Amino acid sequence: MKFQIEDVTVYFPYDNIYPEQYAYMVELKRALDAKGHCLLEMPTGTGKTIALLSLITSYALSKPSNPIKFIYCTRTVHEMEKTLSELKLLHNYQLQHLGPAAKILALGLSSRKNLCINPTVVSAENRDSVDAACRKLTASWVRELAAENPRIPTCSFFENYEKSASEAILPPGVYTLQDLRAYGKLKGWCPYFLARHMVQLANVVVYSYQYLLDPKVAGIISKEMQRESVVVFDEAHNIDNVCIEALSVSVRMQTLEGATRNINRMSQEIDRFKATDAGRLRAEYNRLVEGLALRGDLPASDAWLANPALPNDILKEAVPGNIRRAEHFLSVLRRLVQYIRGRLQTENVEKEGPVAFVASVNTQAGIDQKMLRFCYDRLHSLMLTLEISDTDEFLHIQTICDFATLVGTYTRGFSIIIEPFDERMPHIPDPVLQLCCHDASLAIKPVFERFQSVVITSGTLSPIDLYPRLLNFNPVVSRSFTMSLTRDCICPMVLTRGSDQLPVSTKYDLRSDPGVEKNYGKLLLEMVSVVPDGIVCFFVSYSYMDGIVNSWHETGLLKEIMQHKLVFIETQDVVETTLALDNYRKACDCGRGAVFFSVARGKVAEGIDFDRHYGRLVIMFGVPFQYTLSRILLARLEYLRDTFQIKEGDFLTFDALRQAAQCVGRVIRSKADYGMMIFADKRYSRHDKRSKLPGWILSHLRDAHLNLSTDMAAHIAREFLRKMAQPYDKTGVMGKKTLLSEADLEKMGNSNLGEMF
Amino acid sequence: MADKQQQVVVKRARHKSSVKDPGTPGVLKMTKDRFTFMANDPSSPVKLNVEFRTIKGHKFTKDGTKQALLNLTQDQGGNYIFEFENFPDRNVCKDFVASAIALSGEAGRTVPEKSAVPIQDEQLSAAEMERRIKLLQEDSDLQKLHKQFVIGGILSEAEFWATRKKLLEQNYSRRPKQRVALKNDMWSTKPLADGQSNRVTFNLTPEIILQIFAEKPAVRQAYLNFVPNKMTEKEFWTKYSRAEYLHSTKNVIAAAAEAAEDEELAVFLKQDDMLVNEARKKIRQVDPTLDMEADEGDDYMHLPIQDHGLPRNDNKDVLDSQYEPYRRSFSQHLNQHAAVVLQGRVIDVELGDTRSVAEALARTKHAELAKDASDVYLDKERLERISRMTEIEDLQAPRDPAVAPLSIKDPRDYFDSQQANAFSTLGDTVSGAKQLKCSVSTREAYCSLKECISEIKFQGLTEPTINSEVAFKVLNGLAQNISSNKYHLGRNPNESILDSLPKITREELLLHWSSIQELLKHFWSSYPITTKYLLTKATKLKDAMSQIYPKLQEIKESVQSDLRHQVSLLVQPMLQALDAAFAHYDADVQNRSARSGERPNGF
Repeated sequence: MKFQIEDVTVYFPYDNIYPEQYAYMVELKRALDAKGHCLLEMPTGTGKTIALLSLITSYALSKPSNPIKFIYCTRTVHEMEKTLSELKLLHNYQLQHLGPAAKILALGLSSRKNLCINPTVVSAENRDSVDAACRKLTASWVRELAAENPRIPTCSFFENYEKSASEAILPPGVYTLQDLRAYGKLKGWCPYFLARHMVQLANVVVYSYQYLLDPKVAGIISKEMQRESVVVFDEAHNIDNVCIEALSVSVRMQTLEGATRNINRMSQEIDRFKATDAGRLRAEYNRLVEGLALRGDLPASDAWLANPALPNDILKEAVPGNIRRAEHFLSVLRRLVQYIRGRLQTENVEKEGPVAFVASVNTQAGIDQKMLRFCYDRLHSLMLTLEISDTDEFLHIQTICDFATLVGTYTRGFSIIIEPFDERMPHIPDPVLQLCCHDASLAIKPVFERFQSVVITSGTLSPIDLYPRLLNFNPVVSRSFTMSLTRDCICPMVLTRGSDQLPVSTKYDLRSDPGVEKNYGKLLLEMVSVVPDGIVCFFVSYSYMDGIVNSWHETGLLKEIMQHKLVFIETQDVVETTLALDNYRKACDCGRGAVFFSVARGKVAEGIDFDRHYGRLVIMFGVPFQYTLSRILLARLEYLRDTFQIKEGDFLTFDALRQAAQCVGRVIRSKADYGMMIFADKRYSRHDKRSKLPGWILSHLRDAHLNLSTDMAAHIAREFLRKMAQPYDKTGVMGKKTLLSEADLEKMGNSNLGEMF
Repeated sequence: MADKQQQVVVKRARHKSSVKDPGTPGVLKMTKDRFTFMANDPSSPVKLNVEFRTIKGHKFTKDGTKQALLNLTQDQGGNYIFEFENFPDRNVCKDFVASAIALSGEAGRTVPEKSAVPIQDEQLSAAEMERRIKLLQEDSDLQKLHKQFVIGGILSEAEFWATRKKLLEQNYSRRPKQRVALKNDMWSTKPLADGQSNRVTFNLTPEIILQIFAEKPAVRQAYLNFVPNKMTEKEFWTKYSRAEYLHSTKNVIAAAAEAAEDEELAVFLKQDDMLVNEARKKIRQVDPTLDMEADEGDDYMHLPIQDHGLPRNDNKDVLDSQYEPYRRSFSQHLNQHAAVVLQGRVIDVELGDTRSVAEALARTKHAELAKDASDVYLDKERLERISRMTEIEDLQAPRDPAVAPLSIKDPRDYFDSQQANAFSTLGDTVSGAKQLKCSVSTREAYCSLKECISEIKFQGLTEPTINSEVAFKVLNGLAQNISSNKYHLGRNPNESILDSLPKITREELLLHWSSIQELLKHFWSSYPITTKYLLTKATKLKDAMSQIYPKLQEIKESVQSDLRHQVSLLVQPMLQALDAAFAHYDADVQNRSARSGERPNGF
């Protein structure tokens, strides 16, 4: 359908639209007009992504003189694929109605591991080894050598890409990662470098959060993006955590040992170069005198992760004189590693700020703040000079330099925590030094400054006023939309008691109680016999899940559950989990369905949808609090209290409940869909916990469903499922429209829209 | 008919008078029309010689149960129980009996008669034959028709089946035999330990062995490698059970220690490399919207500790890395189990023979992995699937009408239910018109009555307007008709007029209906008559039809008067169809004779 929002003609690929999608577009358009940032919460299952995509692309189309670029950030690669396939749908529609004028170039960008098509490279184990394997074939010095000596292997795809030079471009269209690979294979070009190149020219770029938030990556991928861009962070309820992690580093004993090996290897290389090619080292020295300036003029294949500190924070000055010479720099690194090793020997937990840490490094190891700050870039330069291409071997020293640069750059918002052992296993020494960032606004600040509009959106951003504080920005639009429902298609319940009327909870004192475990098992057993198709269960942690599943197995409960449905489980092995998910979907497509056991805050909870028959019921076993004894968390809480006056308890509950809401929200995809949500913990019935749930869940949580036992829940489930099986009118009942057609939109214009919500 | 099948089956068995009875050992011999049992001990009184014609059905125990029993039930209620030495023997007999019983109903008579049928040129394979028999067994109507026409000599076997090619093919290719899935039951590794001694017992059945092989390719491989060259089957399973026991104790160190001493045991204790490799291959085929493995490529934060505040619980290396391969998680097992059950029973081998099971599984796995290499088609399918998944369904009109393919198992049921529909949809033509007419005619009657009265008023009474008796009769008839129709209409639409008929009449009607259908089909298909053969066929068919004709009349007259109208409505189309056929036949014969008359003149 096609409709008008003020001066923009919006192309929407469906025949109907939900009223809240329309309202969402109106708000978004206002933010774009104002060239400001916005914060929008809309419940899952209302087609947020397609509303976003169609408004922003239509907006760009309506202003051909001043084209805006659209950067869409997803948390995961599979979400990227999903977004791109929605965009494909939209693009096809626009082409149909606008003709060639609607042509755009949209592509997804990921690492070499997901884009490489060279069979020898892509077979490597993980990302770093794929990167290294690629560098071994494509680094400038390798290609120089190969030009002389044909026996040195190169990558034919990269060579072809280089040869076609300016001709190597992607024709307009929407490219998923798979499409990119297929196109690369067809042309014989390297899809990774092709995509890297095309990102500058594309109208729509879809990539991971980290390509904008992690300064190391953003420095090379996103540095040339124009200011007239719209940046969208979808599913952004965890964005503060991502920001924090982008600037946090941890160092263990293994890291130090690895770093020492790396240093030794580099010093050997230096000796070798001194003997054979001393001029090269001298050239590097001269370059460093003039300033860093090495990024930018490097061939693309040599590019390395950029400096972890933010571009504006690193001063435009030359590398300090005392680390310009390679051997001097190495000895600085040696002293630094030695110093950290000494700090790790401690018997007690230590916590200090960056300033104190830098001061003590200065006094004990003779390394000043400025030297620390340049460590990362200096290392980068050295490794290029030494022509090291197996970069995956050098991760350890990179980590150390990363740490040094961060600690040398920032004086507030960070703390350094040294723990000699894990709190829960005090008898096993496992020292770790962590530099943790507490201030989420640090990493996202340059994004807000650089781009004219940043859109932060998710299904759960409650309380919506907290995010501007955490991220330290001023949105021009900040709205939370409710869901207009045709029928009560979600049914949240709070289960507080088992069938024996004893309370259930994952509270510390109750969690390993066999009675609670049994009651949880009985609840699941009751539900598998009632609910058709898929059921998803979320547990509070891996160890809790393993424990309870094992105990169900031993008591025979699992066997009874398996009489009804197949059982799949998330493990810490991603490959296995992915396969289990794939099988789970297959099992839901046919037969009696399946149960999937998963972990809140785990990878599955974060990005996998269990919509339609893939999830008719979610059970959240317990409240997914963070591990509150963690020092990092405590330090962060302290920082939040001091800077933002956010109470510890409030933050913890907020954090736990947003995770729980996120988990249960995965069942609804559209209004035709339906699903039940069971919060199985007695603590959910307390008002202070419950009230932190997002509004669209709360509005369906009836008072009668606040304090249920297993048998009551089963009864409600039966009733609900029966009700949902009845036919209904999709367009809404009793004058309240929940589905708008083109005609409806024209009729009401923009004037009376406000009354509908 | 049975000549392509095995003629005689001879097996050792015990005859039992009841299940508990130890039984008399002897030899069971089966031929196509009878079976005999001779006891090994010639003095034994047990001696059987029974025709299959008298056998009504057979029952048997499941494979893998305690006894291999076969129970043949007789018409008169008696039964013969045989116990076999093993299941394969029993299954051979079972299959034989099944086909023999199916044939006995008619085959006993068909065989001699068939030689009389002129064309019997097709050579049927045993499988083909079996399929036909099966169809006949499944469908009683078909069987009746077959009996009536083929055995009655009106149609040949080939002609009969020629019109049902589709049925045969469909059955053959489209509908694979329904197979029993694997049990969704993890083999509980909980050993049975008796309190006193230190012995633990594991219980393995062929079903469990199949499951183990399917879930643990390494064990399967080990079995193929070791048995029987290196160790006996028993040793193998003992070793396996030992490994399982070690796992169940969760003592990783002990497991590692034992494995170090015994390399065969180590195979079971270590992690399954084959599974890992398989997983790597499979991950490429996974729906990209699910592929979490790809995320690792974009994760630039090397922070294993802080996973969004998820507590660290990778049960810290309590053990050295040397024990790593011996650790096996329950969740892994759980996933693997569910995947295997989901895949279903991929092989079709008798469960008894462990080796062949292992080989068959290995073969199918191999084929599967080889197939994966050429994944162009899979890619396309996956893409379609994704684009289907991304659409928001309720914003869009449904793409194509949701229809399920029609599968009619029992035509009788189907036509019974359709009959009602047909009557209602036919509406104005047959019975619907009648209902309509009735309701209209009351008004009409009233109107005409009114007219009459006004006429009378106007003209004055002539002589008797209508004979009062006739008028009474008409009114009465009308009233009755209306009330009976109302009565019928108010009820379940599935019930048709047929249901109101007495059972015998109904059966007869339906039988005639189907036989007329069959005959007409053949009759019309034999036109234009080009060969002598077709001529004789048409004549034969015509004769058969003319035999049915009076029978239909008879039925019409035999039913009670209140139903006669309905029945005649039902019979009428049949009669019409037959009449048309007769007319055509007569015209054709005349034509023919005229032409044959002309021809001599012409030349």
